Amino acid sequence: MTDVKRWRGLRALIGDAIEHGSAAIERVHLETARRPFAILEQVPGIGERAHTIHQIHDGLVSTVYATIRGVNRALGDTIDAALDQLEQTDTRQGD
Amino acid sequence: MGQKLDTTLALLNGLCGDYLSRTGNGLATEMAWYREGRPVPLVRDAFARAYPAAGARVAVFVHGVMCSETIWALPDGSDYGSLLERDLGFTPLYLRYNSGRAIADNGAALSALLEALLAAHPVPIEEIVPIGYSMGGLVVRSACHAASVGGQRWLSHVRRAIYVGTPHLGAPAERAGRFVTKVLAAIDDPYTRLIADIGDLRSDGVKDLGHADLRHEDRALAASLRDPRHPVPLLCGIAHHLVAGSMAVDPRLAFLFGDAVVPVSSATFAVRGAAADALLPADCVKVLPGVSHLGLAHHPDVYAQLRRWCEEAS
Repeated sequence: MTDVKRWRGLRALIGDAIEHGSAAIERVHLETARRPFAILEQVPGIGERAHTIHQIHDGLVSTVYATIRGVNRALGDTIDAALDQLEQTDTRQGD
Repeated sequence: MGQKLDTTLALLNGLCGDYLSRTGNGLATEMAWYREGRPVPLVRDAFARAYPAAGARVAVFVHGVMCSETIWALPDGSDYGSLLERDLGFTPLYLRYNSGRAIADNGAALSALLEALLAAHPVPIEEIVPIGYSMGGLVVRSACHAASVGGQRWLSHVRRAIYVGTPHLGAPAERAGRFVTKVLAAIDDPYTRLIADIGDLRSDGVKDLGHADLRHEDRALAASLRDPRHPVPLLCGIAHHLVAGSMAVDPRLAFLFGDAVVPVSSATFAVRGAAADALLPADCVKVLPGVSHLGLAHHPDVYAQLRRWCEEAS
């Protein structure tokens, strides 16, 4: 029981780290890209195109990080289900 | 494997134990008495089985941040508790707790645990001697404060308390870390802000060490414990004994850098004033040259001093 509880805790901690870590890196990624795009968007002639590319870039970046978080959650749910199964087996064997 | 896992969990709890506790994570350590690496349920039968030779005088050992009760182990396998049991008949009780939680939370929990101990201990308790190492000393002080405010009975059994390498006036390393984090967060750059965010992840317990915050409301106070008007002084009616380590030979360097983690000034509660002088006579403070912060938890010279203080009539 304690072992399963700890495995569950480790799973949750890694899941939280990926969730919050990917969100933090996404912010850095978007902010880093914002600066050169902001300059390009001021240049006459290419400003509008740069703005469009900036929006596409941000959309792609956010989609990639959202996918990472989605896979992380799905993987977490799968491991939780496996741990539930393990816990039930342990309980039955204990009875 | 068991001890390695315990050590890893203790480290993890010190780093982010407040988060683990808040999110109900199974890796969070729950405060309990431990004997030989196993928790002792706080019921009379279990206590009687775990401590068949329990006596009326109890020494309570409270470890520091990011460690567990194994920190007390001397190279020969003994520890201050087993030596006090052999030499003076004390029953040693070892606390394990989540050192990442706020000191105030751990203090309140320890106070409740000691109150329950009065009923669970196999023989009526005459004396409780709390011995806190590093953060453990602040947890002891916080527990004493909680008990004095809450009128809990266990405090009347405490006649002396011993603090080993405890940062009574705060830890400069944590304050420096706090300053660096603030500076990095103020710079308009995503990378420095990311580093600041990572730095800010340190636990409530570690943050409390900066100014030795014993209560939640202390964090908002401009005045730290170094202020004689601070509302949580060393409790009157208890003899307080302080041990500090010092790595430097030069007394001025020793005063500033102490045992390499806690300055001697902080570990010896170097506050001027008549009230502080009355509470801490010179023979209640011992500075040990050549002993590091980690070494203070398991050093023969520290035990010799602890024994001397515990031998004194209370």
